[in-house]
Amino acid sequence: MLKTIIEKEIRDIIGSTKFAVTFGICAVLILLSFYVGANNYLVSRARYEAAKAENLRQFAGLTDWLSVRQHRIFLPPQPLGVLVTGISNDIGRTMQITGRGELTAEDSRFNEDPLFAIFRFLDLDFLFGIVLSLLAMVFGYDVISGEKERGTLRLALANAVPRHTYILGRFCGNFIALAVPLIAAMLLGCLLLPVFGIALTGGEWLRLGLILVAGLLYFGVFLTLAIFVSALTHRSSSSFLVVLVVWILAVMIIPRVAVLLAGRAVDVPPLDEIDAQKAAFNGQLWREHREQVAGFKPTADDDPEKLMGEFHRFMGDLADERDKKMQEFAGRLNEDRHNRCRVQQRIAFTLARVSPAAQLTMAVSALAGTALELKDHYQQQALAYQEQYARFMKEKTGINTGGQMMILRIRQGEDEEPKPIDPGELPVFEFRPLGLGHSLGAAIVDLGLLALGNVVFFAGAFITFGRYDVR
Amino acid sequence: MVTTLIIKELMAIIRSPKFAGAFAVCAILMLLSVYVGINEYQASVRQFETAGRLTAQRVQQQTDWFGVTNRVHRAPNPLQIFASGLSYDIGRFSEINVEEGVKLRHSVYADDPLFAVFRIVDFTFIVQIILSLFAILFTYDAVCGEREDGTLRLVLANAVPRAHFIFAKCAGSWLGLVVPICVPIVLSMLLVVVAGVPLSGPEWAKLLTLIGASLLFFTFFIVVGVMISTLARRTAVSFLLSLVAWIAFVLVIPRAGVLAAGQLVSVPSVAEIEGRRDGFAKARWVEFQRQMAERWDERTADADSTLEMDGEQVWGWMEEDQRARTEIERGIDEFEGKLIADLRRSREVQERLGLSLSRFSPAAAYQLAAMSLAGTGLELKSRHEDAFNEYRDGFKQFVEKKQEEYGLPNVVEVSITSEGSFNIQTSREGPGLDFGELPQFDAPHTTYAAALTPAITDLGLLAFYTIVAFAGAFVRFIRYDVR
Repeated sequence: MLKTIIEKEIRDIIGSTKFAVTFGICAVLILLSFYVGANNYLVSRARYEAAKAENLRQFAGLTDWLSVRQHRIFLPPQPLGVLVTGISNDIGRTMQITGRGELTAEDSRFNEDPLFAIFRFLDLDFLFGIVLSLLAMVFGYDVISGEKERGTLRLALANAVPRHTYILGRFCGNFIALAVPLIAAMLLGCLLLPVFGIALTGGEWLRLGLILVAGLLYFGVFLTLAIFVSALTHRSSSSFLVVLVVWILAVMIIPRVAVLLAGRAVDVPPLDEIDAQKAAFNGQLWREHREQVAGFKPTADDDPEKLMGEFHRFMGDLADERDKKMQEFAGRLNEDRHNRCRVQQRIAFTLARVSPAAQLTMAVSALAGTALELKDHYQQQALAYQEQYARFMKEKTGINTGGQMMILRIRQGEDEEPKPIDPGELPVFEFRPLGLGHSLGAAIVDLGLLALGNVVFFAGAFITFGRYDVR
Repeated sequence: MVTTLIIKELMAIIRSPKFAGAFAVCAILMLLSVYVGINEYQASVRQFETAGRLTAQRVQQQTDWFGVTNRVHRAPNPLQIFASGLSYDIGRFSEINVEEGVKLRHSVYADDPLFAVFRIVDFTFIVQIILSLFAILFTYDAVCGEREDGTLRLVLANAVPRAHFIFAKCAGSWLGLVVPICVPIVLSMLLVVVAGVPLSGPEWAKLLTLIGASLLFFTFFIVVGVMISTLARRTAVSFLLSLVAWIAFVLVIPRAGVLAAGQLVSVPSVAEIEGRRDGFAKARWVEFQRQMAERWDERTADADSTLEMDGEQVWGWMEEDQRARTEIERGIDEFEGKLIADLRRSREVQERLGLSLSRFSPAAAYQLAAMSLAGTGLELKSRHEDAFNEYRDGFKQFVEKKQEEYGLPNVVEVSITSEGSFNIQTSREGPGLDFGELPQFDAPHTTYAAALTPAITDLGLLAFYTIVAFAGAFVRFIRYDVR
């Protein structure tokens, strides 16, 4: 009987205008998001390579590694990042590497190109989060109340059809009827990626598969929710209105209010205050060290190279000492702020997780590597690269060239023109995205909540329908 | 008869079970969005004032006219309560000094990306998403619903011209939906007054025009709903078509237009531009150092070391070198200015194309009109960059004058000759830094006319789309089979 009900439901849906329209919208939008995402990735990649090339080109012709300044690293675009943008367009992508000191990322995509911030991107999070959930509601809102209005519900139940079988069959039929075209559209979209020359690794394909699973679970949540509401009401217009209100609350309001409440609940010191404290401390350190530099007395003999080397070592030691003090001071401030931010985030996400839309956003952005931790992860990798850069520069010049005092080497009386440096020798920054295990660990709670949402709402529909007046 | 039909339509909407729920949701969301917007604005004002105070303290602590840096912040805009636009995406301040060009840094979302995960819900968001949905919810069955109920032919069995009927449908729906929604709108504005948010006369004018644009947008979707109900014979089909239209107009076309422009017009990144600028700067500095080395070779040709030379003469040479440095900095500044101007031009081409394509959607036209009126649109960045650049010009003149009076930077000059002599000299102390005459930054203000001008196109488009939708409904209904 269950199989019959499912088949009947699928046949009804496939033959309906509703299905044609919904499938059409899903297919077009999914393919469009993959197409736009792929193009966007290629454009972003080209810009990234151009920025890297320009960064190295500025060092062409220099003959002294001491003159290498304003070296920059960039956050590369990730293939999945264009399919689920997360916060990747909001955070800075460029960092200036000096060899020591704090790093600040600048030039977020939206700050640089505010045109794209007006309407944002057409990504899978947006598609699943808003469009798919709306379509799930359109499918589910009149499953029970609509059938009652048409008089077919009592006819169906006049047969020996257990109510639990009926409701399960209706849900499965609706789910399969939409899930299959959705999966088909996603698979077609995935095929576009290699056509555009975008090669995903095995791990990335797995992530994309899990993003699809999250989308299906999310669709299921809204479908079961709509069926649940349909079983609570006796008129389809009422059930649609209730479902719409719940949709507005869940998709639009709850996630944002959660963040605002967390913002009020946890006092995080503004960055301006932290920066001002750091700047004041830095200024004080510079003044102290300037006096020490002025009082430097070399011990080496008349050999200019030895004199230079001794002076550089002295400057390097001063800079290291300054750096250490600054790191301790800034570290305390940063850690305090960071801890408060983490508390704020935890509160925001805990409150937001009431909403399936927030669960979806957090799951898919974690899987795509564009969740909130992207900023810290980039920062950590940039700091590790800075250490590598400092070691390289120390090898080439004898000192860590970081710090604001310009060291000039004026060569006098040389017969040969010094050879230009090879900027290609500079260590290359390779950004490593968060591992699959880590992303999965971050997403598993939200995937679980989405699955739980399916179960809870279906249980609600099940219980409510058990007592539904079908007359 | 038209009046009767309008009243009938009006009462049908008001008495509908959907109305109370929908109105309550819209009203609560609208008031909530404005309440949240007021709180966010007040927090921005506090942050702005704190930042200004800290910057002033930091400036006062500087001890060398060479390297003096100020910082100017974007002032919060009260109209961002209603249309936040790009306020949180664009950098909040720029460093102002002689060496670096203006660059807006540290947007709210970049500093605190938590708030970027689920973006702010403002008044225009509620209008775009919620009001438009509700407009469709009430009007998708305006005509086909009456046909299904059998009342359409009964009405038209009377001497009711079809033109009057369709006009009455639109007018009645409009009265039934727009007039009640004015209540939470007025309450929202009262909330702004009660919260003590300072709005000047021009700002009130902009706000009222923004409200007018919102009602026009709402009207468009009411009329579109009626039009779609004349295209279908069944309410189920009409509902689906309305939903598709809503998804296309509100969600897809605006984004697709901008993304298409991104593909068609290529704009170099800021990182690339900065790389080019730094490459140019490095080449100039390398040349400067070579020339400086040659100059010092000539200057010290007859002496074993600078220690043996006249101190005043040496300081004079150092001042000459400093003037040459200033010239180099000016040249780099000009080059950077050209690069930025080129970048802006290509970006403007991309923006013009993107926004033109997006404007096929009334939602995009509304969003752009709202942002223009609120001053939170694309011009937010360029307006502030221009104002900051203007301030920087005045700041540079002031600082360069002080640098001339001061003499030389507080640097430590180290010289090591090939003969092995080593000398460290610190610059002489100049007069103490007096920032009393430091130019103050005047935040840019847009007059009502300046804000309205870019919005006129979008308001005109909204009106045009509404008229076209009504014309479509009219033409379709004239030939509609009422049986």
